[in-house]
Amino acid sequence: MANTWGYGAMTNSMNDIQNSKAIIIFGANPAVNHPVGFQHLLKAKERNNAQLIVIDPRFTKTAAKADYYAQIRPGTDIPFMYGMLNIIFKNGWEDKEFIDARVYGMEDIRAEAAKWTPEVVADVTGVSVEKLIQITTVYAKNRPGTLIWAMGLTQHTIGTSNTRMAPILQLALGNMGKAGGGTNILRGHDNVQGATDMGCLSDSLPGYYGLAEGSWKYFAKSWGVDFEYLEKQFKDKSWMSKNGFTLARWWAGVEGVKNDEAIDNAGTHLKALVVLGNGITSIAQQAKVKEALDHLDLIVLADPFVNEAAVLTDKKDNVFLLPAATQFETSGLVVATNRSAQWRYKVVEPLYESKPDQEIMFELAKRLGFYDLYVKGMMMEETKDGKLQMIPGKTTFIWPEDACNEIARIVKTIGLTGWTAERVKKHTDNWHMFDELTLEGTGPMKGEYYGLPWPCWTKTHSGSPNLYDTSKPVSMGGMGFRNNFGLEKDGVNLLAEKSVTVIGSKIQGGHAEITKDNIEKVLGITLSEEEKAMMGANWKVDNSNLIVQKCMEAGIAPYGNAKARAIVWNFPDKIPMHREPLHSPRPDLATKYPAYADKANHFRVMTKYISVQSAKDYSKEFPVNLVTGRLVNLNGAGVENRASKYLTALTPEMFISFNPDLGASLGVKNGDMVWVHSPEGTKIKVKAKYSHSVAPNMAFMPFHFAGHFQGEDRTANFPAGTKPYANGESANTVTNYGYDIITQIPETKGGLCRIEKA
Amino acid sequence: MDYARMKFYCDEHRCIECDGCSVACAEAHELPVGISRRKVVTINEGIEGKEFSTSIACMHCTDAPCEQVCPVDCFYIREDGIVLHDKDKCIGCGYCLYACPFGAPQFPRDGAFGAKGAMDKCTMCAGGPLETNSKHERELYGQNRIAEGKVPVCAAMCSTKALLVGDAESIANIYRTRVSARGHGTVGVPYGWDKAYTK
Amino acid sequence: MKKIVYFFIATLALASVAYAAESQIWGEMRIPNILGYGQEQSLKLGEFFTLWQGHYITTIFLGILILIPTVFGIHYLIIGPKTFSHEGKKILAFSLYSRIVHQIAAISFIVIVPTGFIMVFGSFFGGGEFVRICKDLHGVFTIPFAIVVIPMFLMWVKDMFIHLDDIKWLIIVGGYLSKVKNPVPAGRFNAGQKTWYWLATLGGIVMIATGATMFFMDFDIAMVKNITGLSQIDTLRAAAILHNLVGFAVVILFFVHIYMAVFAIKGAVQSIITGYMEEEEVKILHSSWYRKLKKQGKV
Repeated sequence: MANTWGYGAMTNSMNDIQNSKAIIIFGANPAVNHPVGFQHLLKAKERNNAQLIVIDPRFTKTAAKADYYAQIRPGTDIPFMYGMLNIIFKNGWEDKEFIDARVYGMEDIRAEAAKWTPEVVADVTGVSVEKLIQITTVYAKNRPGTLIWAMGLTQHTIGTSNTRMAPILQLALGNMGKAGGGTNILRGHDNVQGATDMGCLSDSLPGYYGLAEGSWKYFAKSWGVDFEYLEKQFKDKSWMSKNGFTLARWWAGVEGVKNDEAIDNAGTHLKALVVLGNGITSIAQQAKVKEALDHLDLIVLADPFVNEAAVLTDKKDNVFLLPAATQFETSGLVVATNRSAQWRYKVVEPLYESKPDQEIMFELAKRLGFYDLYVKGMMMEETKDGKLQMIPGKTTFIWPEDACNEIARIVKTIGLTGWTAERVKKHTDNWHMFDELTLEGTGPMKGEYYGLPWPCWTKTHSGSPNLYDTSKPVSMGGMGFRNNFGLEKDGVNLLAEKSVTVIGSKIQGGHAEITKDNIEKVLGITLSEEEKAMMGANWKVDNSNLIVQKCMEAGIAPYGNAKARAIVWNFPDKIPMHREPLHSPRPDLATKYPAYADKANHFRVMTKYISVQSAKDYSKEFPVNLVTGRLVNLNGAGVENRASKYLTALTPEMFISFNPDLGASLGVKNGDMVWVHSPEGTKIKVKAKYSHSVAPNMAFMPFHFAGHFQGEDRTANFPAGTKPYANGESANTVTNYGYDIITQIPETKGGLCRIEKA
Repeated sequence: MDYARMKFYCDEHRCIECDGCSVACAEAHELPVGISRRKVVTINEGIEGKEFSTSIACMHCTDAPCEQVCPVDCFYIREDGIVLHDKDKCIGCGYCLYACPFGAPQFPRDGAFGAKGAMDKCTMCAGGPLETNSKHERELYGQNRIAEGKVPVCAAMCSTKALLVGDAESIANIYRTRVSARGHGTVGVPYGWDKAYTK
Repeated sequence: MKKIVYFFIATLALASVAYAAESQIWGEMRIPNILGYGQEQSLKLGEFFTLWQGHYITTIFLGILILIPTVFGIHYLIIGPKTFSHEGKKILAFSLYSRIVHQIAAISFIVIVPTGFIMVFGSFFGGGEFVRICKDLHGVFTIPFAIVVIPMFLMWVKDMFIHLDDIKWLIIVGGYLSKVKNPVPAGRFNAGQKTWYWLATLGGIVMIATGATMFFMDFDIAMVKNITGLSQIDTLRAAAILHNLVGFAVVILFFVHIYMAVFAIKGAVQSIITGYMEEEEVKILHSSWYRKLKKQGKV
C-alpha cells in the first residue's frame, strides 16, 4: 500500500462507506470483527442501495448480508482480481483518464490481466466464470466503489502482493481519492493504527521513519539524546539499520530451538522475552513458540490477565507476571482505523497492584539507568529558530498529555503535527458536533474533521478524511498521491500529470516532495536567510515545520503530488503475481505458480518458500484446506474474553467447523472430538461443529483459545483463581509454516490439515 | 396520562448475530448462565441468500398469551404495554412458556430434582412489582432502566441498531423509512409483530 | 417392589442431573419452536393451549368442583345412602396386598387432586409460596402413585373386562336412582368401578407421563419426536392440554369414588380398610359375583 501511493493505511473511513455505491470485501468479516462499524455498510445498502460483494472462502456473517458472494479458494485473491481486471479492460470499463493522469505502470498490469481469462481464474479460484463476470460487472458499473480487506488478504506468503493488487484494482476503476471509494483496510484491534504509527515493528522508527542513519539522527535530536549514545547501544553501528526479529519468528532466535534455519543475530541468541499485552497464541507454529519459551533465560509478561505464554511453557523459574492496567484504568490518545485520534479518559484508578504500561516501562528504564533520557523529549520544545530546548521552568512531565505533544512535535511523515493533546480532547468532548457522514464539524468545531484524521499538517489543520482526494484544498484534507519513489523511472514521469491539480493549489499538476533544496524552485518563493537557517533538510525532519507552513500557504501537500505506482521495482514481484500457498491443495498449480525462492536473513532468519512448497505433495496426506479466524464474542488470544462467563457461554469450547458433507465422509458427527493434524507434525484435539458456511473441502477454526497443547490440558499452570472459564487448543498449534516475503506475517489463512475422529 | 405503547423490533436486515444484546442483558441484570432473557437466533445458517439472524426476547405482546394462561395471575401489563410478572407469586408451572410464541419465559432449575424455579424473562429493563430501584427489585428482576429514563440495555448496546425499542409509532416510522430507503421489499408488518401486536 | 422403588429413585436422580443443564428449549430448539407457532401446517397447539388454558379450563374445573358435589348432595337428600346390615357375615373382598397398593394410590390421590385444584385456582390462593408447595407436593405424591399404578393394574385387570352385566348396570345406573335394594347386576366390580379402574390406571399413566413431561421439560427429544412427530414445545403444550382434559375425567370419577365409598354406601369404605365386605352388600350390589361365590361355596 505504502509502496503504491505513499501511506499504508485505510484511505477513507467507516463512515464514508455510506457514500459507496458498491462495496467489495476480500478476506474480511466486519460483521463479526467490526460489528459496530458494520452499520455503515448496512446503511450504505439502505441509503444508496449499495451492492455488497463478499469474496471469502467461508460464508461469513458478512456474506449473509451480501448481494453477491463468491466462495474463493484460500490464497487466490490475485487471480480473482486479475480476472476482474481482465473483464474490465476487455470491456473498456477502466477509468482511462484517471490511469493516464495518476497511475504509473498500468500497462504491465493490463498485460498480466490478459492472461487471466475467466476460465483460467475459475480453475484457480474455484469461482465460476458466470459469478466472476457478474461480480465484476456489478462492481464496475456501480461507482464509487470501495474495497475492503483485512487479515484474509494479508496473512499469506503473498500477502504483500495481495495488498498491492487491491489498490491496483481500485486505481483501474478510478475509485481512489473520492468519497465512497478508496481502499478501506479494517484494523483488527483497538488502536492498532496507533500502534503501527508508533512503529511497534522491528524495521522502523516511530512514524514510518525507517532505520536509516538520517532517521536515527532526527530522532536523537528530537529526543535530546546524543546520536553517539544511541549508536553505542548497538553491537556496532551497522546493526542500527538492520531489521530485528518479528513477532512471527522470534522463536527462531532462541538457543536450543530445533531449527535448521540460519539466523543472523550478531552471533548470539535471544535470551529474554518481555511481552506487553500481546497474545502469543495469535501467532502460527505454537509448538515452536513453546520450545522457544522453554529455552529462554527470562520471561516477563505484563498483562491484565495471565498471558497464555506462562501456561504454555514448562519453564518454572524466571517467569514473571506483571499486572498491567486495562484501558479503563489509564488515559491517552488512541487512533481509530481511519487514522483519526480520540482521547480516552480514565474511568477508574488502576486496581490493586496493577500499573499502566508506561509506568512499567518507566520503572524498567529507571533500573536500567536511562530514565532521564527516556522521558526527556516530553519536556522539550522547538524554538523559533528550529532548534530544540528544554521548556523553561518545566521539570516534570504530565502523562499522557506531554507524551502526545512530543509525538505531535516529532512525527511529521504522517502529519501528526496537529495532534496536540488539547485539540484531540476537544474533539472527543465535542463528539456530537460532527457529521456522521462527512465527519465535518459544526458550530465551534467547524472546519475540522472528527479526530483530525492524519495527515493533520499543522496545529490548525482540519485533518484529512479521505486520502488522495484532489477535489478538496489541502487545508481541508485534499492531496494527491505521495511522491516517495523519485521523480521518474526509466525516463517515465512519476509525478502526476497537469490535469491533477489539488483545488486551491498554486502549482498546476504534479510536483516533487518539498525539501529545503527545492522549496524555492517548486513553490516559486524566496526564503529569508533566517528561514533558511531554521529549516530542516526536508519536510519530514524539519523541526521548525516551516516547510509545511510554506506548503500550506501555497495550497500544496508537503509530500508532493505524484502518480501511484502499479510497478514496485524494488520488490521480488514487480507487479503482483499469483503464487500458490506453500501448502496448496492443488499441487498442479503449485508447479505452475511456484512460491518465492527461499530468503536468507529475512528479519534475521532464513525463511523458506519454494523448498517447503516443492518438498512433497501435502494434499494427499492433508486433504482439508484450513483457515482460521475470529468469533464475535472473543478477541485476539481471547484471554480477557474467556474470563467473562457470559461471553464464554456463547462458545464454551474450542471447535473446528466443517461442512456436514465432510463430516459424513470422515465418519465424524456433530459434537464428536477430532484430532486435527498439520504438516508440521503437530496435532490438536478439538470438538467438531457442523456448519454449512464452510465449503465441503475446508475447515474453519477460531484462534481465541489457549490452555491446552496437543491434547494436553495445561490449565493447572494458571495461578490459583486465574483460570479462564473456557480453555482449549490453540488453532495456531496446527497452522502451517509460511511467511510473507516482505512483512513476514504468517500464512494462517490457507493451510492444510487432516481431520481424524478422536 | 396518555402512555405510548412500547414495542420491540429487530431488523433482520441489520442484525448480524453479534450477541451484543444478549451479553449486555446478561451482564446488566447479572443473570445466571443458562438464562437467556434475550437470544440471537440465526435461521438457515450458511445457506446463501437465506441466512438471517434476529434477536428474540419477550415482545411484550398485546393481550399477552402468558398473562392469559397464568394460573396464579402473576403477570401484569403496564399502561405503556410492558408485560411484567411477580416472581413472588410465580409457581414455576411453565404454562407461560407453552403459550409464548417467542419462547421467552425461562426457568432456572433451582429446586430438588431439577424443579423449575420462578420464571424469569425480559422486563424491557423495567424491573418488577417491588419498590423501584430497590435492592430487592434488582436482585429479582435486574436493573430498572426505564425508571431512570434509559433505553433498555439490549437496544442501547445493539451494534448495528437493528434492535429498536420505543413507542409503537416511532418504531414503525423507522421501520418504514428503512424499508423504503432500501427500495425493495414491501412495507409489511415488522418481523414478529404479527404474532405479538396484531390482536 | 423394592426393585421398582430403587429403579424409580435412580431414574429420578439421573433425570435431575440431566435436566439441571440448560434446556434445549432456549437453545437450538428455540428457532423451530418460534417458527412453528401459529403456522398453517402446524397443529396450532400454542394457540389452542392459550385459548383453553386462558378461557375454559379453570371454568370447567370450577364447574366440576361445584356441580358434582351438588349432584351428590341432591342424591343424598332425595335418595339417600344405601345401608347394609353390618350384622351379617363378611366376605373377604380385598387381599392385604391389594389393600396396600390401593392405600398408597389413595393417599397419593388425596394429595394430588386437591393440590391440583389449588394450582388450577392458583390465583384464588394468591400464588406464591403456598401454591408452590402444593405444586411440589403434587409432583412428590405422584411418585408413590407411579410406583403402584402398574401393580394395581395387574392385580385387578382380570376382573375388569367388560361384561354383559355392565351394560345392564349402566342402564339402571347401578340402582342408585332408587331407594329399593334390588340386586344389581355386577361381578366383583361393577361397571362404575371398572370405568374408574381403567381411568385411574391407564389415565393415571397418561397423567404421570404428561406431568413428567412438563416437569422435566427435556425428555429425550428425538425419541418423543419420532413417536409423536411433535416439536419439543408442542410436546409440552400437548402434555398440558392432555393433563387437563384427562384431569377432568379423573377428578369427576375420583369424586364419584369418594362419594360412593364414604357417603352413598354406608360403611363401604371399611371394605378396603379391613378387606371384608358385608354379605348383604355383596348380594345386592355385586349379585353376579355373589352367585359365583355361592356356587364355589365360598359364602
